Amino acid sequence: MFRFDRRLLQNIDWAIIGGVLIVTLMALLNLYSATRLNDAVGLSAFFKQLYFNLMGFGLILLIVTIDYKVLIGLSYPLYIFGLLMLVAAMAFGQTVAGSQRWIGLGFFRLQPSEPAKLILVITLASYYYRKDTGKGFTLPELFVPIILTLVPFLLILKQPDLGTALMLLIIFASMTLFVKLRWSTFGILAGGALGALPVVWKLLKPYQRQRIEIFLNPESDPLGSGYHITQSKIAVGSGLKFGKGYLHGTQGQLDFLPERHTDFAFSVWAEEWGFFGSLVFLACYFFVLLWGLNIAVTARDKFGMLLAFGIVSLLFWQAFINLGMIMGLLPVVGVPLPLFSYGGSSLLTNLAGIGLLLNIRMRRFMVAA
Amino acid sequence: MARGLGNINKMDPAELKMLKTRIDIATAIMVTLIAVLVVRLWYLQIRKGTEYAQLSENNRTRIQYIAAPRGNVLDRNGNIIIANRPRFNVIWIREDAPHPDEVLKQLAKILKLDISVLLDRIRAGADHPRYLPTRLKEDIDWETLVAIENNAYRLPGVQVEVLPSRDYLYDEMASHLLGYLGEINQQELDASDDNTYMPGDLIGKGGIEKLFDRYLRGEKGASFVEVDVRGVVQKRLKTQEAVPGNDLQLTIDIGMQKAAEDAMADKAGAVVAMEVNTGRILVLTSLPALPLHEFSSGIPANVWQRLLSDPKTPLINKPIQGQYPPGSTYKIVTALAGLSEKVITPDTSFFCSGSINFGNRSYGCWKKGGHGSISLHRALAESCDVYFYQVAQKLGPDLLAHYAHSLGLGAKTGITLENEKAGNIPTTAWKLKRFKEPWQEGETLSVGIGQGFDLATPLQICRMTAAVANGGTLYRPQFIAAVKDSTGAFVSRFKPIVDGTSLGSPRTLQLIRDGLEGAVNEPHGTATAAKMENVIVAGKTGTAQVVRMAQYKATSASNVPYLYQDHAWFTCFAPFDKPQIAVTVLVEHGGHGGSAAAPVAKAVLSKYFEMYPPPPLPAAEAATAATPTLPVTTTPATPPTKPAAPPTATPSPTPSTKPSAKPMAKPPAKKKP
Repeated sequence: MFRFDRRLLQNIDWAIIGGVLIVTLMALLNLYSATRLNDAVGLSAFFKQLYFNLMGFGLILLIVTIDYKVLIGLSYPLYIFGLLMLVAAMAFGQTVAGSQRWIGLGFFRLQPSEPAKLILVITLASYYYRKDTGKGFTLPELFVPIILTLVPFLLILKQPDLGTALMLLIIFASMTLFVKLRWSTFGILAGGALGALPVVWKLLKPYQRQRIEIFLNPESDPLGSGYHITQSKIAVGSGLKFGKGYLHGTQGQLDFLPERHTDFAFSVWAEEWGFFGSLVFLACYFFVLLWGLNIAVTARDKFGMLLAFGIVSLLFWQAFINLGMIMGLLPVVGVPLPLFSYGGSSLLTNLAGIGLLLNIRMRRFMVAA
Repeated sequence: MARGLGNINKMDPAELKMLKTRIDIATAIMVTLIAVLVVRLWYLQIRKGTEYAQLSENNRTRIQYIAAPRGNVLDRNGNIIIANRPRFNVIWIREDAPHPDEVLKQLAKILKLDISVLLDRIRAGADHPRYLPTRLKEDIDWETLVAIENNAYRLPGVQVEVLPSRDYLYDEMASHLLGYLGEINQQELDASDDNTYMPGDLIGKGGIEKLFDRYLRGEKGASFVEVDVRGVVQKRLKTQEAVPGNDLQLTIDIGMQKAAEDAMADKAGAVVAMEVNTGRILVLTSLPALPLHEFSSGIPANVWQRLLSDPKTPLINKPIQGQYPPGSTYKIVTALAGLSEKVITPDTSFFCSGSINFGNRSYGCWKKGGHGSISLHRALAESCDVYFYQVAQKLGPDLLAHYAHSLGLGAKTGITLENEKAGNIPTTAWKLKRFKEPWQEGETLSVGIGQGFDLATPLQICRMTAAVANGGTLYRPQFIAAVKDSTGAFVSRFKPIVDGTSLGSPRTLQLIRDGLEGAVNEPHGTATAAKMENVIVAGKTGTAQVVRMAQYKATSASNVPYLYQDHAWFTCFAPFDKPQIAVTVLVEHGGHGGSAAAPVAKAVLSKYFEMYPPPPLPAAEAATAATPTLPVTTTPATPPTKPAAPPTATPSPTPSTKPSAKPMAKPPAKKKP
């Protein structure tokens, strides 16, 4: 199982590797611009991200050597491990900016909610793969995946990290819709979700409610919480056709943009490279994701298909929510742009996801051992 | 795991097709959402791009104004009177101070203060928001500043603010003329039609600081800076340097000004000196002085109240706003009118018995014993009231006024200072209009010796004296010698302005000058206190009557309360034969001009001639000055320096001569006696 087949090398998907490389290089370029004048972060962020990239590509190498189907058996241990990390973050994690999301590992602060997303994708893919009868899932059959999703969801919501928690629900919804659902089940789930909305609203922290309210009416608080959206829109909009030039984006360079190396990294890009630069970026970025769907279509088996679909949906929804937020289409929910925003946990997780896509791609013609 | 690996390759073709269809749907959804993002990006960057570009521009650039160094004020010899000096205050911003105790301990050591002093200051500002600065110490010296700057990294929360301030190198000297600065108020902002002034600016609030503010202030510079969201400057984009204000060179001679103010000591009043042939003002003093150092950051209410209630009325700029009966200095006018209208000749003599009866009243001479038979020269020198009563009586008020006006009385001199007063020269028409009563002939007598309705400012009297000295030319009093820009180039320079010519022939004026020379240099003259060794001075004393209270009639002068004592005048020019300078002194409630005012004038003249030595005296004149030949007198000589008894009651209602107590910054209500 761990033996590396030379034939695999011929099937390496250079397209996706190339796409990811370009995106991560753009990310590093952008990170330098966003942080070089920031006293609090400084150049150390740039180098950290560089190291994480190198680690991430190492991780990809490791992942592609192992047939992805081992994950079917490893999904529950992985899931338990993921939950333990979330509990650990809660029990003795580090509190940063009011959220308890991190586990200190000396050289690196691990944010367990990031791998938790990928682990949920793997767990759900395994579960649906194993349980699928081809007749469509009934509500009792969905009980387990719902629980599998809700446990990490609640743990992450408690940190509190609304954006990541919501991502779990979106992953669940995407993957569950992808496998066959009975219409009755879909109706009940949709109804249940709608019914739960008021309850969720009550569970939200005041600042989270405020963010949604401000999203619905951004003019209500232009200097308070609406500030982020406004500043981000100004940054993006003022980029015009060709941008202000690399390292010359005033909004980003002058500290008007909040979180500009993490969640708002793309604002910096859009400001400095303009509309055409942004189009180039989006083209590269979504090429990778659309290529990921192609990997799902051509997967050797259903598990590979489910897994690839789950990974692509994980990356895509985060990207869409992040970009929508930056462009003022969606509320500020603190979702990073995968492969682009600064953050080691997120980068490693997403590169691991890319590794799995490569893995699936490489083995599309292979017969299981 | 049971189903696990075994059937992993088995995929139902129908199911595979179905899943592929779903991936196609997912692809479609994905492409649609990507399209939404691209459209949105187009909308933000292309459609609304310029709007956002504008917003981002405003977001980051700020204008920082650079204060222009205010112009210096110099005296005629280039001595700096007002300079600029930055003041450094130590301020404390709580928000930036994570470890206040440590920092304050350090700071107390540097400031050489007890830490409790600092803590008291901080406690006093405890209610303010944390980001607002609290002043810990004002006006630190250079060494302390350096010590703080060097230790800045150890003193988070401690900052030094720089405030521009004026440095008055001669303290309160010429305070009314110089004026002071204060923060601009809304009215002043509204009044400026351009962008010269901005809120928070310092602006001249009085004197030349106010009048010449636009010259002195220069032009602010501006620096366009990029700031971050906290307003911290990141980069300077473009800087337009400030243009320093123009220097103002005054015609004032600070040495003479000092001599005048020293000689006045704690007396209240005014001293004016001007060049008789140009109108340049050399001394312009109003006392008591304004406490300029207390005005540096606005006038505290208690100081204002104190100044308002001070009986010596420091808020009035006395040389131009103080209106006093000219007293005997007005005899110059009466003499000029009498000679010119030929009601007298130099030889016409009257008999002074010490008083004269008119109607049913007796009008006294200041010299109760009388001057005996007296003609013009002695009448001027010894200031005989009875002589001038009779001259005035022959002229009548309207002719007197005509000549008074020709000497510049009763009208503003046109000096470029605020709220100058015109004084008052009464005519019959004026009285009818003002009091709805016809002129009483007895009033002519009072007016003829400068009492009654007559009012004049010290500046007017000085200019009158200068005109008599120079042969009749009325020069506009001016105090600006030059306005220079920062490179030293002249923006404007002094040019004499002639406002008119007095009536009277040169010979008539010479006769008057002779009389004034006698007042100083003849033994019975009233102004021998002004006599000098090396220069022949000519002058005229005067006593301006203040409200005469019946109860003080019999009291000797020294026992009369301050506010009821007469004002003392002395006006003079020198050198007698080639006049250069006229000096006028008014001592409020000073008693007699010869004793109270003349020595002050002499001090000013001495200083002047110390700097500009006079030509040596002609032998004959020197002999006269040194050993005057005694003219024949029929009356015992009264030592002129001894305080003379106040003149006897004048018949007409004497208006209060106390100038209205209005601050110099505000125009006092028009008040005619």
